[in-house]
Order: sequence, then structure tokens, then C-alpha cells
Amino acid sequence: MSDKTISIRVTRFRPEEEDAPTEQVYQVPYQEDWVVLDALNYIKDHVDGTLSYRWSCRMGVCGSCGMMVNGEPKLTCATFLKDYYPNEMVVQPLANFPIVRDLVVDVEDFMAKLKAVQPWIIREEEKPIEEGEYLQSPLELKEYKQFSQCINCLLCYSACPVYGLEDVFVGPAALALSYRYNMDSRDEGYAQRTVVAASSEGIWECTFIGECSVVCPKGVDPAAAIQRTKVETTTNWFKSFLMPWGNK
Amino acid sequence: MSQSQTEYQYKAYEPKLSPTWWLQSRRYFMFMMRELSSVFVAAFVLLLLYQLFLLSKGPEAYAAFQDSLLNPIYIVFYAIAFVFSVYHTITWLGVIGRIQVVRIGNFTLPPVVLTASTFVGFFAISAAIGYFFLR
Repeated sequence: MSDKTISIRVTRFRPEEEDAPTEQVYQVPYQEDWVVLDALNYIKDHVDGTLSYRWSCRMGVCGSCGMMVNGEPKLTCATFLKDYYPNEMVVQPLANFPIVRDLVVDVEDFMAKLKAVQPWIIREEEKPIEEGEYLQSPLELKEYKQFSQCINCLLCYSACPVYGLEDVFVGPAALALSYRYNMDSRDEGYAQRTVVAASSEGIWECTFIGECSVVCPKGVDPAAAIQRTKVETTTNWFKSFLMPWGNK
Repeated sequence: MSQSQTEYQYKAYEPKLSPTWWLQSRRYFMFMMRELSSVFVAAFVLLLLYQLFLLSKGPEAYAAFQDSLLNPIYIVFYAIAFVFSVYHTITWLGVIGRIQVVRIGNFTLPPVVLTASTFVGFFAISAAIGYFFLR
């Protein structure tokens, strides 16, 4: 192991001992191929077993290791120490969420919002299995594929000041997934999702800061999904106003 | 409150967003400048409407207001309004390609083409208006 070390300033919050978060600095061996999650695992295994944080897959798929690294929302499994060395790194829990312990945040609010937009295929009537699968062309797949890459890591919520100021906002990932299913040729749940997506807590809360799309580790563009939904719902409103017979 | 918090015996810490959040990164700051730009654009439009109102009052009233525009306060205001208008326009047109999906049959117009064409249209219309008023 290398003799070089790097300082990592980590947020600590032990609710049984303190009312507000504090910080603790750890010295961690510097390895060029280590990511922040490797450093946290080193602390947990060799320095301080009381440090709490979430992680699982280590490969940018599960979306559970999102944290603030030097003030930016990042997946810690994809953030290399070498990009910060020799400077001190600051690792904090995801911004805009209640802190449960150390680097662990409460994501229940998001889970409720995700469920509210019904991110699954809705059919008015399921066809019998004997009739086979619902077919989809590559072009139809292309309509929503980008938005289906979301891993619910919540970096977008952490980057969104609107959510930070108004936590009633449905938020970027849930609205992007709402758009994703609305764009799916097999889906028939547009009206049900739009009740939530186009509500006053939905797309109209968004002021298009665009930071959600900047920080997304999977290349999803939630800001575009939200603005497209604004255009779409407005167009549909005008259509229903000018051509009321169109909905019948 | 969430179910997990009722099961967990300790209360979560609720951090508050600082009022100066928009100074924490360049991108947040530029967003706030974009929001602020709309104030200057709105003030510019109100002044324009006021000038149209003065035109209806006769050439003397309009000429008197035009003379007052030489006041340094107006000159500074119009200079700032111009910079903000350009910034607002660039940021507005720059996102068209991301928001508007244009399909021609099975072909989807690449976002960069759509964005570029809106800029070309904007400059063409601006040049035409400029030519009409400044010739």
C-alpha cells in the first residue's frame, strides 16, 4: 500500500449523542485506483467502525452511494480520489434530505413521490397472455430510452434548489420517470400520471435551473423531461379548450 | 412523517438551504442572473409601452421623453437591459433543442440542428428589424 495519504472530512451525526451534525477528519491511504467509497470502506474496516453510509453494487447501478463530495452530488463509487488528491476531500450526506445518521439520509419522501407518478406500464385493459407480448419498434423505444436509465440515486434532488426550498415539489427523477412511461407506446396511463405531474407541486414548480441534468451520472436529462411535459400539457390544455369534442 | 422515522427511535436532522445557495456555484449564480434578467426585460417593455402611449399624446410629448433618455440613468439602464436581454435570449434559444422534439416522418431532427436554426432565425429577424429601423 502507498505511503501517501489523503484527508477526508466526513459529516458525522449520531442522533443519540448530538442535536446537529459535526465533522470528523480521517487520514486514508491514497491509492490512484480508489474511489471515495473505497476510502469510506477503509475507514469503516480499519479506522472507525461506527461510520454509517449506504452502498451496494460498487458499479454505478444500484444508486445507493450518492453523497456530496466537495459540495457536489456524486456517486461515491464513481468518484476517484486522484481527481482531488492531494487536497482534502469533504464528504457529506446528500443535500436537501433529512440526515438519519452520518452519511445516511431519509429517502421516504422520494419513495412516496415515485409511487405517486406510477412508474410502471398502465393498461386500460390487459390483453390475454395468449395474444402474446406488446410489440415495440426501435423508434418507439428511442422515445423514452434515455429516461429509463434513471437509477433513483437522488443526486438530482440534491442538486435541485427548488426541492431544497419547497420539498412538496415532486422533483426531477419522479417527473422524468413519469415522462418516460408517458412516452412508452405500450402505456395508457397518461391521464393518471398527469394528475400528479401537472399539479402545482409538479412540473410548474420547476424553474429550469437544469442542475439535475448536469449531475445525473446516467446521462438522463430530467430538466428536458419536465420542460417537455410543460409543453405537452399546455398544448393538450389548449386543444381541450379549442376542441372540447376531441377528448370525447 | 415517513414510516421509517416512526420505527427509528431518533429524529432525523433537517438541514435548511442557505439563503445564499445561489452564490455557492457559478451555475446557480448564472441561473439567478437569468431570473434577474427578466426584471430588466420587463422594465424595458414597460418603457417601450410608455413611449407608445406618449406617441399618442403628440410629437412634443414624445420628443420631451426622448430628450430625457439622454439622462445617464437611462443610458446605464438600457445598457444593462441590453446585456440581460442578450443573455436571456441566448439561454432561451440554447435549450430549444432539448425541449422541442421535431419529427419529420420517422426522422427526428437532431437537437443541435434545431438550436442552430433558432439562432439563425433570431439573427435574421434581428437583422431585418435593425435594417428597417436604422437605415
